[in-house]
Amino acid sequence: MSVMSGFGRLYRGETTVDYYSKRRPALMASGTFMLVSVIVLVFGGLNLGIDFRGGVAWEAPATSTLDSDAVREVLEANGVDTTNAKLQTLQGADGERIRVQVGDQTDAVRSAVQVALAEQAGLETEEVSVAAVSSSWGRSITVKAIRALLVFFVLVSLFIAWRFEWKMAASAIIAMAHDVLVSVGVYAIFRFEVTPATVVAFLTILGYSLYDTVVVFDKVNENIVRFNTSRMSMANIVNVSSNQVLARSLNTTLSSALPVISLLVVGSFIMGATSLEEFAIALLVGMLTGTYSSIFVATPLLAIFKNREPKYAAVAGQVAKGAEMAALFEHSTTRAAQKAAAVEVGASREASVLKNTSSNVLTHPPRPRKRKRR
Amino acid sequence: MNRRLLASLIFIVVAAVAGVGATVGMGNTPSLGLDLQGGASVTLQPEGDYDAVALDVAVEIIRSRVDSIGVAEPEIIRQGDTVVVNLPGVKDQQRALDIVGRTGDLQLRPVLQSGQIDPNAGAAEGDTTTTVPTDTSVPAEGGPGESRGARPMTDTTVPTETTVPTETTVPTETTVPTETTVVAEEEVAPVATTTATPPAGSEVLLGKDGLAYLVGPVAATGLVFENTASATIQGSGWSVVVQLRRGAEGEDVWNALTSRCFSRDASCPTAQVAIVLDGEVISAPVVQEAVFTGGEVQITGDFTEQEARDLAKVLEFGAVPVKFVVSQVQTVSPTLGGDSLRAAIISGLVGLALVFLLMLAYYRFVAIVVFFGLAVSIGLQFSIITYLSKSNGLALSLAGIAGIIVSIGIAVDSYIVFFERLKDELSSGRTLRNSAPRSFEGAWRTVLAADTVSFLAAAVLWWLTVGSVRGFAFFLGLATLADVTIVWFFTRPAMLLLARSKFMATRSMLGIKQPKPAEVAS
Repeated sequence: MSVMSGFGRLYRGETTVDYYSKRRPALMASGTFMLVSVIVLVFGGLNLGIDFRGGVAWEAPATSTLDSDAVREVLEANGVDTTNAKLQTLQGADGERIRVQVGDQTDAVRSAVQVALAEQAGLETEEVSVAAVSSSWGRSITVKAIRALLVFFVLVSLFIAWRFEWKMAASAIIAMAHDVLVSVGVYAIFRFEVTPATVVAFLTILGYSLYDTVVVFDKVNENIVRFNTSRMSMANIVNVSSNQVLARSLNTTLSSALPVISLLVVGSFIMGATSLEEFAIALLVGMLTGTYSSIFVATPLLAIFKNREPKYAAVAGQVAKGAEMAALFEHSTTRAAQKAAAVEVGASREASVLKNTSSNVLTHPPRPRKRKRR
Repeated sequence: MNRRLLASLIFIVVAAVAGVGATVGMGNTPSLGLDLQGGASVTLQPEGDYDAVALDVAVEIIRSRVDSIGVAEPEIIRQGDTVVVNLPGVKDQQRALDIVGRTGDLQLRPVLQSGQIDPNAGAAEGDTTTTVPTDTSVPAEGGPGESRGARPMTDTTVPTETTVPTETTVPTETTVPTETTVVAEEEVAPVATTTATPPAGSEVLLGKDGLAYLVGPVAATGLVFENTASATIQGSGWSVVVQLRRGAEGEDVWNALTSRCFSRDASCPTAQVAIVLDGEVISAPVVQEAVFTGGEVQITGDFTEQEARDLAKVLEFGAVPVKFVVSQVQTVSPTLGGDSLRAAIISGLVGLALVFLLMLAYYRFVAIVVFFGLAVSIGLQFSIITYLSKSNGLALSLAGIAGIIVSIGIAVDSYIVFFERLKDELSSGRTLRNSAPRSFEGAWRTVLAADTVSFLAAAVLWWLTVGSVRGFAFFLGLATLADVTIVWFFTRPAMLLLARSKFMATRSMLGIKQPKPAEVAS
C-alpha cells in the first residue's frame, strides 16, 4: 500500500485500522508515560516561574553597556543576592533582551535596580520592565485554578453523562486527566518554566481534549444506535467509529495546531515574543496528546467499560478486520457487502436484522440519481 | 425554505459588515492590555475582615484617587475579591504603587507643632528635620461601618489656614467666638515642646496648605466617622459636617482625643487635630469643645466650595475600608508590549493562512465557505470585543489573543465535522442536494455537544479564576459562542444554498467523484 493510496483511503474515510486490538500496547504506553510524569513531578517538581514562587523579575534590552555581567554587578551593587538569580538572554525582534529573576525584594530595591539597569543600559527607565509577585498570590491563583478544575470536572461529567452516558463521561475524564498529566509531565521533564500563561494552556488542553473526545464519542454513540438491534461487538463499533472520524481528527488537529505552531515559530522564535512561547509549547503538546488520547485512550476504555454489559459481553471477542470492517461503515451500503459482512461477523441472523433496523432504514441506499436533471 | 436560508445568510453577513463598519467608522479599536501596550499593573488582594460593600467602596476610592492623578484610561477591575489596577502608560512603577498601593489611611493625630518649611535653613526650631517623608505608610485598619444615625447638633472646630510664617499656628478664620482664647493660649504653649524630644510615634508631615506639621501618634482613624460627610454653606463660608460613629469605636475614641486637645494636654499642645490622609495633612482644625455629645462634627474655616467638598470626601471615604496587600506588580515597557502585539498578530495571520491553505487543499472549492465563514466570524468578534472594550473596559491581553488563536482550531473543526459527514453521504451515492441537509443535521448535533463542553470550560474558568486565565477564558467563551452562531446562521445556509445551486451540480464536490450508477444500483 503506497502512501498515496493510504491518503486516498483516509480521504474517503475508508481506513480500516484495528484500534481496538491495539488497546493494550496503547494503554500501556499511556500508562507508562503517566507514571513517568508522576515520578518526575514528585521527585523533580516543576520549574515554577516567579508568579508562583514570588519574586522580582527585570527585563531590559541588552546594549553595549548592559550584558549579563553588568546586570549581575548592578544587582550586587543594590544588595541583591545573585547566587540564585536566574539570568536569561532572550532573542527579540529588536535585538537581545536580558531577563533576570530573583527572590522577593523590597519596593525600594525593586525600583532602585530598575533605575540602575536603565542607567547602565543608557535608556529611559520605562524601557526596563519589572514584575513583582508575592508568593501568596501565586498560591492563591493556583488554588483558584484547581478549584475551577474540580468544578469543571463535575460539570463536564454531568453533561456527558446526560448527553451520552456515564461510561463515556468516565472514559472522557480519564483521557483528559491523561492529557493534562502528560503535558505537565513534559514540562517537568524538560524543565520548561511554568507561568500563568502555561496554566492557561493546561486548562485549554482540558477543554480541547474533551472537545475532541466528545466528537469521537458522538460518532460512537451514533454507531451504537445504528447497530442497536444487531449483535455487534463493542470492538467493532469503536473501530468503525474511530476510523470514520480519523480524517476529521487529523484535519482538526492540523488546523488547530497550525496556528499554535505559527505562534511558536513565527511569534516566538522569529519575532522573539517569549511570552507566547510558554503558551504555545504547552498547547502544542496538549493538542497532540488530546487527539491521541481520544482515539487510543478514551475509546478503548469505553469499549472495555461497555464490554461488561451483558449485551456486549456475549460478543466481546468479535473483531472485524480489513474488508469486513469496511463493510460495516455507513456508506458501504451495497447489500452484498452488508450481507457478506454480517455473515462473516458471525451471527447469521443478523443479515436479515441489519436490513430492517430502524437506523438502517434511515441509511437506506439512495435512489439511483437521475442524470441530466432539468 | 430557500428564502429563509438566504435571509439568514444575508442577516449574518450584514450584521458582521455593519459591526465592522460601525467600529471602523467611529475609529474605535479594542483597548489593549498592559502586556501589549506597556504600563504598570498592580494587583491588590484584600486582607482581614471585609465584605462586598466595603470592597465596592474601596474600589471607588482607588478609582477616584487614580483619576485625580490623571492617568490616561486607567482600568480598575474587580475580579472576585481581587482588585486589579491597570495604569497604561505609567512609566514609573513606584508612582503606580504610590497611587494605589497605599492603604488610603485616614488618621487623626494631635498636632504637636506646625510651621512653615524653609528649604534654605532649618526653619523653626522643632522643624529642623523637615525633609518631610511623604511616603510614610501606616497600616490601615479594616472594617466598614454599619451603625447609622446621628443627632443634629453643631460643634465647631476651626481649621488653621495659616498664612503667618511663624512656627505658631494662628487660625485666621473665626466663626466661633471662643476662637480668640485659642489664639491667646497658643502663644504660650508651643516653644516648650520644641527642644524636648517628641514623643514616640510622632513624625513630621507636610500639610496641603504648605505647612509642615509635627504630629503625635495616631489617636484615631477615619473609622470614628460615618461614611456620610457633606459640605454645607455655613454663614459666609463653606463648612464640612460629618457624623460621628456611635459607640466605643466612634464617639468614645473621638472624644478622648478632643478632650485631650481641648485641655491642651502635653500630647496635644496646639489643640489642633490633624486630619491625615496618606501621610498628608489635609486639614488641622482647632478643637473647640471637649466632648462632642451631638454625634456630629462641624469643621468650619476659610474653605472654598471645592476645598470643602474635597475635605468631605476625604472624611467620608478617606480610609479605604479594606486593607489591601499588593500581591503583584508588573510594568511592561512600551517596546516589549508592542513587540508582543506585533508577534501575536502576525503569527495569528500566518496561522490563519496556513489553515486556509490546508482547507483548500483538502476540501477544494468549498474551502471558500470556510474562508467567508471565518471572515464573518472574525468581523463579528472584532466588533463585539471593540464594543465591550469601550463600554466595559475589556482589554485585549496577550492571553486573550492566545485564546482567539486557539479558537481558530475549534471554529475550523465545525467545518471539518460537517464536510467529513458530507463526504460520507456523498460517497454512499447521494446527490449533493440530498446530502447537505442530512449531513448538517448530524454535524450540528456534534458541534453543539462539543461547543457546550468548550463553553463550559470557558465559563468555569472565567467564573473562578483571576488575571490572565480569566482574560483567556473570556475570549475562548466568546469564540465558542461565535462558532455556534456562525455554523447555524452562516455555514448552514451557505452550504445548503450552494448544494442546490446549478453551479455546484456540475462540480465534483469535495473531490469525491460521483459514484458510477452501476455501483449504486448493484
